[in-house]
Amino acid sequence: MKKLIALALVASALVATALAVGTTRGESAVRASTGSGTTLLTCGKTRTIGLLAPITGPAASIGILQVKWADFYVRTYNASHKKTKFKLMKADTQLGGANGNAEALKSAQAISGSSKVLGVVGPAGSNEVKGTTAVLKGGGLAWVSGSATNTTLTTDGTRTGYFFRTVPPDSAQSKNVSHYIISTLKLKRVYIIDDQEAYSTGLADEVEQQLKAAGVTTTRDGVSQQQSDFSSLIAKIPRDTQLVYLPWQLPPKGQAFGQQMKTAGRAAIKLMGSDGLFDPAFASVGSNVYDSFFPVQPTDSAIKAYKRTHGGQGDYFGAPSYVAAQVVGGAIDRACKNGKATRAEVRGQIKKTNLKKTLLGLPVRFTAGGDLRSGSFGIYQSKNGDFARVG
Amino acid sequence: MNWSLFFDLTVSGLTLGSVYALIALGYSMVYGILKLLNFAHGDVYMIGAFIGWYALHALGGPVSPSVSAWIAVAAMFVAALIGCGLLGVVIERFAYRPLRNAPRIAPLISALGVSFFLQNSALLLFGAAFRNYQSYDLIGSRTFSFGNLYFGTPQILTVSGALVLMVVLTVIVARTTVGKAMRATSYDREAAAMMGIDVDRVISVTFFLGSALAGAAGVMFGLVFGQVYHYMGFIAGLKGFTAAVIGGIGSIPGAMLGGLIVGLGESYSTGYLPQGSTFQNLYVFALLIAVILVRPSGLLGKAAIKKV
Repeated sequence: MKKLIALALVASALVATALAVGTTRGESAVRASTGSGTTLLTCGKTRTIGLLAPITGPAASIGILQVKWADFYVRTYNASHKKTKFKLMKADTQLGGANGNAEALKSAQAISGSSKVLGVVGPAGSNEVKGTTAVLKGGGLAWVSGSATNTTLTTDGTRTGYFFRTVPPDSAQSKNVSHYIISTLKLKRVYIIDDQEAYSTGLADEVEQQLKAAGVTTTRDGVSQQQSDFSSLIAKIPRDTQLVYLPWQLPPKGQAFGQQMKTAGRAAIKLMGSDGLFDPAFASVGSNVYDSFFPVQPTDSAIKAYKRTHGGQGDYFGAPSYVAAQVVGGAIDRACKNGKATRAEVRGQIKKTNLKKTLLGLPVRFTAGGDLRSGSFGIYQSKNGDFARVG
Repeated sequence: MNWSLFFDLTVSGLTLGSVYALIALGYSMVYGILKLLNFAHGDVYMIGAFIGWYALHALGGPVSPSVSAWIAVAAMFVAALIGCGLLGVVIERFAYRPLRNAPRIAPLISALGVSFFLQNSALLLFGAAFRNYQSYDLIGSRTFSFGNLYFGTPQILTVSGALVLMVVLTVIVARTTVGKAMRATSYDREAAAMMGIDVDRVISVTFFLGSALAGAAGVMFGLVFGQVYHYMGFIAGLKGFTAAVIGGIGSIPGAMLGGLIVGLGESYSTGYLPQGSTFQNLYVFALLIAVILVRPSGLLGKAAIKKV
């Protein structure tokens, strides 16, 4: 018995070692392939954009939307341009998976190591942005995320000039959420549960701070994204709680939480998610579900065209990734005017981006840190199984 | 003492514990017969959850099933029990039987390989998206309450279903001919063979029963917690293994007890200990270490007697 358990431990250690070796290899390969991004690359007729997204793993449901929108950009561009074309080099980051950060690192290394990639769209999660910074920056690449909202990504100075995003930061999201809870819903008792990831804890911290400042009683808790059983966590939530705030990234987890709240006799408590939960799966929990989401202009021609080719589905979570692809594609085109470009030139062109009209319903220009110059989050409520804007 | 919280945590712990107990039973039965830690067992549980989901959708789905909701639930269980039972037999036949006389590390590595094979096959076949049983559409969202005690239909179904399956298993092992053969094989495989027992068949039956229980546990998990996905077996398998070791691996009552202890421990630690929901796995596995240090054979396990 003891021998067998020892064998089991040895086997587990072997697996862990293999995973660690994988990660270390990724890091060392990055060190070997780094560059300042000044190598001159021939653009050719078909240019390559890297795409980092959670194609598999627990966040695949939202990653697929980003892939679909990025694909849509490439298709639209290629159909309207005869002389130049784009293609995507897609790489999976497995956001939220047991080995997610290592996978993101490996994928970033593959993209960074490819001599054809001039700019990158993604990754999706703030943790992934932090985890892949050294690799992408080391490769001289600029990367534009359509969903990473953690405030510090553009304020800590680590990736200035390299990282950009087409969504407003959590500092904007937290203000809208707090304001809605305090002024519109007029609630006094809020329970906040983060999912232990950088994006979630950062947003939860900001909302908690603002609610407390307004005299709202808050309780803070956390839960792993690997978990599906929330029943004992739900048991801790006082029955007189008015709202549970869930700044999570995986809509199915939000859905499971909402359903288990019902089982536990807490169906009357309101739920509010963040942009990561903006999905019909979470909305299906019931009309007491709220969410905050990026600015998106449903009447924009690109969104209408997307819906026409995707069975009427807006897949809005992925829409900012279309804009990210637009930003990277435009920068590559400008940098490639003479047929050759460096990654540094593409970075410079991304900084100069000036899209006057986008599907976000606002122009896209970046601050020195890489944030949008304007834009705020909307507040939505579940109606008939989908979200409708209420604030 | 906040009794409301205590009762809520107890209901949650018993529900989860019932699922772990069913998984632990499979570990224990296989270990009892073959002295093999079947690390693919958690993934068999995952496959069971998917079989239940597909069975439900073959019957029209949770919103408008073509049969009554309770028949649909029964069909999900039957499909998962049979499907996983057969899967267990196939795994034993092709991954473990050829290694029966090999050094012990070989079947252990084979078990890990089968685990990854099943997990990745599920990813390939079913995709990465989460599937939802939508239990509330299927069997209603009615919540029962007695004073401060709240529980829903899926929870009642899980705890009572697990109890029934455990009783059935106990009867099979204690009162039937095949159960007697299983006990004999567990006690001394060679002697059992010499007494005319078809050991290969007994091992296949053991895998069938253990895997069937894991399949049922998968359906129960889906009904209570809503979601099935390709890597759900990893943590559940580890917890089931922990439950089996705490109870005394090889002991059927021990597996049941271990499952309930792990489920309740997880629930109470979430509710009462500092940052319990964040570090519940730390507390659960610390419990495992504590039990093993005090009773290396587990709570109801028996120390092996060696001839000296």
